[in-house]
Amino acid sequence: METAFQLLVNGLALGAAYALVALGFVLVLNATSAVNFAQGDLVMAGGMLAVALAPLIPLPGLVLLPVILLVMAGLGLLLALVAYLPLRNRPPVSVFISTIAVGIILQNGAAVLFGPEPRVAPPLLGDGVLRLGGVAVPEQSVAIILVAGLLIGAQHMIFAHTQLGRRLRATAQDPEMARACGVPVTRMILVTFAIGTACAGAAGLLLANRYFVTPTAGGDLILKAYIAVTVGGWGSVPGAVVGALLIALFEVGVSSVFSYPVALGALYGVLLLILMVRPQGLFGEAVRRRA
Amino acid sequence: MLAAALAGLAYALFFASPYGLRVLTVAGVYALAAFGFQILFGLGGALSMAQGAFFGLGAYVTGILGSRYGLDASVTFPLSLLAPLLVALPVGLAVLRLESHYFALATLGVAQVLHLLAVNLPDLTGGANGLPGVPAFALFGWVAPRGLPMAALVWGVAAVGGLIGWRLARGRLGRSLELVRDDPLAAGCLGLDVGRLRLTAFALSAVYAGAAGALAVHTQRVVSPEVLEFPVMVTILTIAVVGGRGRMVGAVLGALLLIHLPEWFRGLERSYLIVYGAALLLAILVAPNGLTGLLERLFPPPPRALPDAVEPPAGPRATGEILRVEDLSKSFGGVRALDGVSLSVQAGAIVGLIGPNGSGKTTLINVLSGLERPDDGAVWIGGRDRTGAPPDQIARAGLARSFQAATLPNHASVLEAVAAARLPFDRSVAEAEAHARWALDRLGAGDLALRPCHGLPAALRRRVELARALARRPSVLLLDEPAAGLTDAEKADLAAHLRRLAWEGMALLVVEHDMDFLLPLVGWVLCLDRGRTLYAGPPDGARRDAAVIAAYLGGPAVRDDSDDEDGA
Amino acid sequence: MRRLIPLLVGLLAAAGPARADGLSFPVLVPLTGFLSLEGTSQRNGALLALKEAPAGLVAASEVIDTGTSPEAAVTGLERAAGGGPVGAVAASMLGTQMLAMLPLAAELKLPLVTVSGTASITEQGNPWVFRFFPGDAVTKTAHARYVVEELKKTRPAVIYQTTAYGQSGKTHLEAAFRALGVNPVFQEGVDPAAKDLLPVLTKALSANPDVLVLHLHAGPTALLLRQAATSGLKIPVVAGSAMHQPSTAALLDPAELKGVCAETAASPVSGGSPAVAAFTESYRAAFGKEPDAFALGQYDGMRMVLAAVQAGAKSADDVRKALAAGRHDGLAMSYASDGKGNMAHSAVIVCYDGKTRIPALVKRYDNVTGVVK
Repeated sequence: METAFQLLVNGLALGAAYALVALGFVLVLNATSAVNFAQGDLVMAGGMLAVALAPLIPLPGLVLLPVILLVMAGLGLLLALVAYLPLRNRPPVSVFISTIAVGIILQNGAAVLFGPEPRVAPPLLGDGVLRLGGVAVPEQSVAIILVAGLLIGAQHMIFAHTQLGRRLRATAQDPEMARACGVPVTRMILVTFAIGTACAGAAGLLLANRYFVTPTAGGDLILKAYIAVTVGGWGSVPGAVVGALLIALFEVGVSSVFSYPVALGALYGVLLLILMVRPQGLFGEAVRRRA
Repeated sequence: MLAAALAGLAYALFFASPYGLRVLTVAGVYALAAFGFQILFGLGGALSMAQGAFFGLGAYVTGILGSRYGLDASVTFPLSLLAPLLVALPVGLAVLRLESHYFALATLGVAQVLHLLAVNLPDLTGGANGLPGVPAFALFGWVAPRGLPMAALVWGVAAVGGLIGWRLARGRLGRSLELVRDDPLAAGCLGLDVGRLRLTAFALSAVYAGAAGALAVHTQRVVSPEVLEFPVMVTILTIAVVGGRGRMVGAVLGALLLIHLPEWFRGLERSYLIVYGAALLLAILVAPNGLTGLLERLFPPPPRALPDAVEPPAGPRATGEILRVEDLSKSFGGVRALDGVSLSVQAGAIVGLIGPNGSGKTTLINVLSGLERPDDGAVWIGGRDRTGAPPDQIARAGLARSFQAATLPNHASVLEAVAAARLPFDRSVAEAEAHARWALDRLGAGDLALRPCHGLPAALRRRVELARALARRPSVLLLDEPAAGLTDAEKADLAAHLRRLAWEGMALLVVEHDMDFLLPLVGWVLCLDRGRTLYAGPPDGARRDAAVIAAYLGGPAVRDDSDDEDGA
Repeated sequence: MRRLIPLLVGLLAAAGPARADGLSFPVLVPLTGFLSLEGTSQRNGALLALKEAPAGLVAASEVIDTGTSPEAAVTGLERAAGGGPVGAVAASMLGTQMLAMLPLAAELKLPLVTVSGTASITEQGNPWVFRFFPGDAVTKTAHARYVVEELKKTRPAVIYQTTAYGQSGKTHLEAAFRALGVNPVFQEGVDPAAKDLLPVLTKALSANPDVLVLHLHAGPTALLLRQAATSGLKIPVVAGSAMHQPSTAALLDPAELKGVCAETAASPVSGGSPAVAAFTESYRAAFGKEPDAFALGQYDGMRMVLAAVQAGAKSADDVRKALAAGRHDGLAMSYASDGKGNMAHSAVIVCYDGKTRIPALVKRYDNVTGVVK
């Protein structure tokens, strides 16, 4: 029972970080209908940034968070300017390739700057362990869940209740219509890229303490984000968050009974089953073409 | 292009070092894998993430049989083509009905499962280490050692594969796949079996990938799980896009560029991949339509000659009842879109279908053309029960339809768009285009033939769409608001064309809101309201019928362009 | 490298015509991908040896990234072979890449000097491979013997990586334990991408082991040890060679390392002799990093190659003969071929005391023949 609870906490912490990765991915996807394949490498970049900043700012990771959000938002703007805007009227697969190229640059840039060693970022608050009965809960796990929850909540508040959010949503739903209604679509797309990349940066900071960060860490994360977003229903923001949590819980849960390779195989097996039964993802994206 | 090929040959024969030849060989392997991907993804639009997996499967078949049993290429090479094909067929049947990204994810899942198996079945595959000692390519005693012979072999196979791919891409298969990619619904309604086309493309791509995988292990002489890893897939996708989507020449150019690119910067040691990434980014920014697109922009091909118009063969002149609908019902989540609708259209007759928005008109057309299955009732076309048949079967039974929003492929020319409608019937693309020219000429639109569909004004788009339907010489034609957005003169012209078609024996069912256009044209009117037949009879009666007037004619003059009755 | 090329060129220019026809010694190692950490150590070790070579012995030697695919490795080897006379190649420690390069090396007649632990590379009957690092047969025997003979444990739980490194190590651990009459109570493979290792740790502990035996890459080793420290693990841990890498220890608090031991070929940062200390110093000065056993093994290997050249080897074949027949007292150990290209037959066990990140040598196993599968 205690073990199960401990596994649940670990799974939730991992899932919360995955959720931030998937969230950044799906926001950009909605605004541009482009798959940002660099999202995993942006997470890695966020982690590396935290590693680099830590000696300069000898304070808990929580203080680093706003700095990282800011720097990564800037990187997101750059990404949009270089890899998205010049290709916005091209088939979406062009952006797929341009973001793959950016990912290669980020990954190898990090390897040259930081070396190939795994690095560890500072914890958000402290690296103590809370003992609740027989359960050992690392403070960092709790902090990950709280911070990820706060950031996802903040994103939801911005999108649901502010003028900026309404414009961002209008852009995501129908750029043509939004432009006709006077929404500065290009600026909104830039803002979306900034938010999406800031999410990646936050995820990088959260992951790089408990799970370390290497320059090659992004490849696995983008697959997880892709699966989360597809399972949740292509383009659905809550779906992406729930999808990410499910993947992490599945990973931790199944591998605690069977082995890791079996858990991974089962994940893909279940995925195929889900797609067979619900071809539009778990939560659906009820878009039917009008004839 | 020939000059470039000769220059490449001269390089390989006289200038390339063993190292240069090896890089060239690897490029050939990837070109071969990319040919298949060009058919599936470039032409068919299916973003398969399994191309790398089929590559790896072909590699493992050759690797295991070659290293463990010492079999030569006469056995291993065909089996390396067969194994991916045998996996592709059931996988394709299961996942090809999924839409874009769900399909991508499903194929990615298949690829990841194969990779897991390769790593975790060490007794069969050698595990993560793989299997060493794969023999060189040997066929009936002839061995292809590394260097020029292997490069020649790989590029020889690539040349054959490329030529086959080129013929397929330019032929009916390629054109049909493009249609499926651009608009699967319209493709089905034009009589193309979308499922079978996609499966064919998927199977073809797997065979190409298997061949490439087999040659890859003969080149590197070991087989290990790396051949199944994601980077192989990304390389193939990148080659296809950077080279030029859907083009076999693009696959060759893309493979040559992307496999050589990192080698050029190797000397930079750890930074070379940064430069590679930047070069890749630059390539996609400078040539977003691929290298072939860039070449075509720099050296535009000469305008093509128009084919001579040939009248497509028409079936025996139909008589009597062509379309019969009995007691048709269809619900969407509790809303009855159709409720016991019956209808009959004779050869040479024009029937009008009217009703307020949401009354079930488009649903009726969708059910008749096979896009929706009816809950109840029957549809007879040409005397045969076609209830619930898929769109392509109904189309081949002689039914044609138009869509409210004309769905023409943007990048294609008008001639190509109309010729697409003939693909299920004609033996070659040339024949289809000759027939398309006839259909365009008949509607007085022959001068549009070489215009791109993109940017065509609404009236002309409708004309092209009508030519598409006409080119197939259907026995029954369903038109969904053909007069919307036309001027009075254009409407009169359209009405004349429709009358002539009816006079020749075609049965027409026309959905239209414009009563001044419709009522003089038709001999019979069916008025629907909330899925039920409100009125069926001669047009004069409709004008006088109190229920029709209340529900529709007398209603507000404003009408919404969008017709949300099918719940979309 | 950027610092070294001008240096090498300068050395050549100063020495005039090269004495040994300026043989080159290309370095073909993984600098990108999941093995880039170990590959970079190999590169640095090889370059340090070449830098310290007597003037005029060495022509400028290219460093080529082999990534993670066999394809890139053979392409790199072909490229290296085309760049003038080659004395020997410092070759990737990724077993798959070695297996791919071996037939080509035989055709091109190039000795491959590597620190790969993968057992099968010296089982191919190929005379061109020289391994300056104890193979899994040696290290895993030492690993198992330390667990059974020194710690007196009989119920080991084995956690390994589902990579070439992990699967080869697991096979040899299994055999070594069996030879000692011990059966692991738990064995499971872990994907290198797995983030949370609590599940496997929980399962391992529920099998009631008396020692945890790890054979994981650097990151996962640290991940598991941290998880173990969090859940208050009571039993000792004996890890694989990845643990001894200073960058692995750097991920953890010294306290989290208390009681952890690891097998390795050597631990240069632990010192041991003035020569090793001097190596560690010059390595730090040249690369700004701490050296590990892979760097030292590759350094020793290239030193032996260079010694052969200095002793008159004029071609790659001369170098091969010298390596196959000779003996070399390196910094980590004394090297001599067993006839198959296995040059290293010693392994050590290092342990952390919980106060520093520098482990102490606690046990040395020499002349281990191991159980070769």
